[in-house]
Amino acid sequence: MVIDMTGILNWKTESGKTNWYLVLGTGITGFVLSLIFIGLLHPPYDIEAMDTAHKFAGGSLRHLFGTDNFGRDVFSRVLAGGFTTMKIAAGTVAVGLLGGVLIGAVTGYFGGLTDELLMRINDTLFAFPSVLLALVIVSLFGSGTSHVIWALGIAFVPSFARMVRSEFLRYKNSDFIAGAKLQGAGALRIMTHHILPNAAPVLMSSVMIGFNNAVLAEAGLSYLGIGVQPPEPSLGSMLSEAQSYLVSAPLYAAGPGLMIIFMVLGFSLLAEGMSREQLSGAWF
Amino acid sequence: MSERILEVSDLNIEFHDHSLPETVVYDFDLTLHEGEIVGIVGESGSGKSMSAMAIAGLLSRHEIRKRGQILYDGRNLLDCDRDTLRRYQGEDIAVIFQEPMTSLDPVRRIGWQVEESVRLHHPEIPAERRREMALRNLADCGLADPEKVYRQYPSQLSGGMRQRVMIAAAMMGNPRILIADEPTTALDVLVQEQIIELLRRINRERGTAILFISHDLSLVRRLCSRVLVMREGRIVEAGPVEDIFNHPAEDYTRALIRAIPRVFSEKRGGEAEGEGTAAAAAPVLDVEHLDVFYQESGQGIGELFRRKRAEPVVKDISFSLRRGECLALVGGSGCGKSTLARAVAGLTRSYTGTVSRPGVQPQIIFQDPYNSLNPMHTVRWILEEPLRLTGEKNARVREKRILSMLEKVRLSPELLGRYPSQLSGGQRQRVCIGSALMQQPELLIADEPVSALDVTIQAEILELLGELRREMALSVLFISHDLRTVYQLCDTILVMEKGEIVERGAVDEVYRRPRSKYTKALLRAAGISS
Repeated sequence: MVIDMTGILNWKTESGKTNWYLVLGTGITGFVLSLIFIGLLHPPYDIEAMDTAHKFAGGSLRHLFGTDNFGRDVFSRVLAGGFTTMKIAAGTVAVGLLGGVLIGAVTGYFGGLTDELLMRINDTLFAFPSVLLALVIVSLFGSGTSHVIWALGIAFVPSFARMVRSEFLRYKNSDFIAGAKLQGAGALRIMTHHILPNAAPVLMSSVMIGFNNAVLAEAGLSYLGIGVQPPEPSLGSMLSEAQSYLVSAPLYAAGPGLMIIFMVLGFSLLAEGMSREQLSGAWF
Repeated sequence: MSERILEVSDLNIEFHDHSLPETVVYDFDLTLHEGEIVGIVGESGSGKSMSAMAIAGLLSRHEIRKRGQILYDGRNLLDCDRDTLRRYQGEDIAVIFQEPMTSLDPVRRIGWQVEESVRLHHPEIPAERRREMALRNLADCGLADPEKVYRQYPSQLSGGMRQRVMIAAAMMGNPRILIADEPTTALDVLVQEQIIELLRRINRERGTAILFISHDLSLVRRLCSRVLVMREGRIVEAGPVEDIFNHPAEDYTRALIRAIPRVFSEKRGGEAEGEGTAAAAAPVLDVEHLDVFYQESGQGIGELFRRKRAEPVVKDISFSLRRGECLALVGGSGCGKSTLARAVAGLTRSYTGTVSRPGVQPQIIFQDPYNSLNPMHTVRWILEEPLRLTGEKNARVREKRILSMLEKVRLSPELLGRYPSQLSGGQRQRVCIGSALMQQPELLIADEPVSALDVTIQAEILELLGELRREMALSVLFISHDLRTVYQLCDTILVMEKGEIVERGAVDEVYRRPRSKYTKALLRAAGISS
């Protein structure tokens, strides 16, 4: 599939104003991603090295967010946890997007009985909150990173499917699609080469919103203890641990908390910035 | 001469929302006398609507700067505060817009909307009296059953009726000036004629001065006494209509007048090489007893049980089209001509009867060039796609054929990397034509290919179609509601009314001696006297 992305990251809208949502969103997300990258290559401390002599150390230049109940460096663990969360979010969005595009494209383009059946199943899935659905799946198949990805991914399929379907419905009767049909383009080619690129702008901003929801959902599941399992660090499980020591070591909770806030803020701003660009007509 | 009621001098309009201020109207001057109809003519982007909106006081105060004078009633409207301006708006100066679909509020009843200006300007008038006024105005504007229309919603009315409602609402305050911004552009030819007649009558009976904005010179000629010709924000020529038509001083005005298709004179496109050869050639399209049904885009489970194929939109139509022939299919909106085209091209299968089209799949050029090119692809991709679809694997061959097609449709190769949004309307339509001809079809279906374009561009596109027809021995099924453009390009004509063919024959013959009432009405609306 060929999608031209040159128009997507324009700092200026059509009317020449700076798109601050996009600028800030890219800045914050870039900052978070580079932190995670540094954590992967050169973590300040070994994330599993315990130093019982320095439990609950306060914030200092040696330990930016202090140490936890085992004397492990919170900052290093936040970076590693951030990577886990990002990995799960990316996997979740990928599963959701793939399933959603597949179902949405087929139902939107062909309509009829297939559409009717698949969309009713979709509606049924939609009726459950996605975290609840993921909870059910995880408790059926067990926890762990890959299970969390599948569970959240499947829970995300309905919303993507609905959006892709409406985009396909919008374009399938337009004149340029009729033209492509007359030139002999088959259904598959029309879907992938003629309609999907037009759905890309809307897809991009909902991918960003998807990232957001995935970050929060993963943190939620891990907080409840059914997400990522120790010893793999996760922002959610760190928060849940830190909760017990909120009074004695407030910095412990602040570390993972800030990381989640920055991730969510960055993705929200990106999504907002992208949708603004669509509204301003840069696409047409 | 009667009293001057409006004097505009040195009006300049600038946009300030971009980093650089951009001037869209330069030194606009206009004097309007009591009871006069003045036309402003120009193509899109000429500043004609901007000037009119400035007079109506409808331009934003923040981002648009206006300099100069708009003198009405001894006051400069540009210096007035909001409250003073509001006293004039709707009461002394009323506006009707192009699109009657969007200029009426879809959730309010017609009566409420027509009464709105009286409710605002004269709250002292009791409801009973207000209702009487509304009903009288609706009746005056040619709505047959005002009591019923009064209670209806805009969606229950046709486009022509909505425009009448708009005019009735505008006339509620008995304005001295009525600004009509392309009031008939979105309407069917026959309805357009009725609306023009209505404006003329209002002018005659109530003495309202009308500022008529249009891109259609022949319409302006029939309605107005004076005309201003605008181009790129400047008035290029102004004067009495007949003077301008008979002795245009400026090149641009001459070009505009030339662009009006002429009937009963030399044809613009190529005449087919001798009628004899055309008649002897093999048919590229043969349609027999064709009934086309409206495809209800069914939603929901109910679709499974519904009986399909209710009423045919196109009824029992037979015709054939020979190689090199150009056949016109003419009729008002909703007569089924586009439905017929889709069935002929094979885009819909809900028809009975036979359609045989030996040879390469025919292609369609659509009316709206803004909707018929994929906005996410470049011109190169759009022109290359038909070749990829025919299985042309060699990229160099594809490139070569793209370049030769660009030459045929008179486009510069520089445009290859552009997206449709970066092209003008005329360029887009050329790309559409190029893409349609890429697979070398024998039959080209042109569905109102020029009606969304500016007049001078229309002329260029028609000329191009004529040339291509000759060069490529192309047969064309030309669908249009405009009898003038049809005459320029086509050899034979089918006139459709409500899904049926009411007249057919050679273009010259039909234009000179129309037999059906409907054809006569269409010719009259196009200003063609046989």
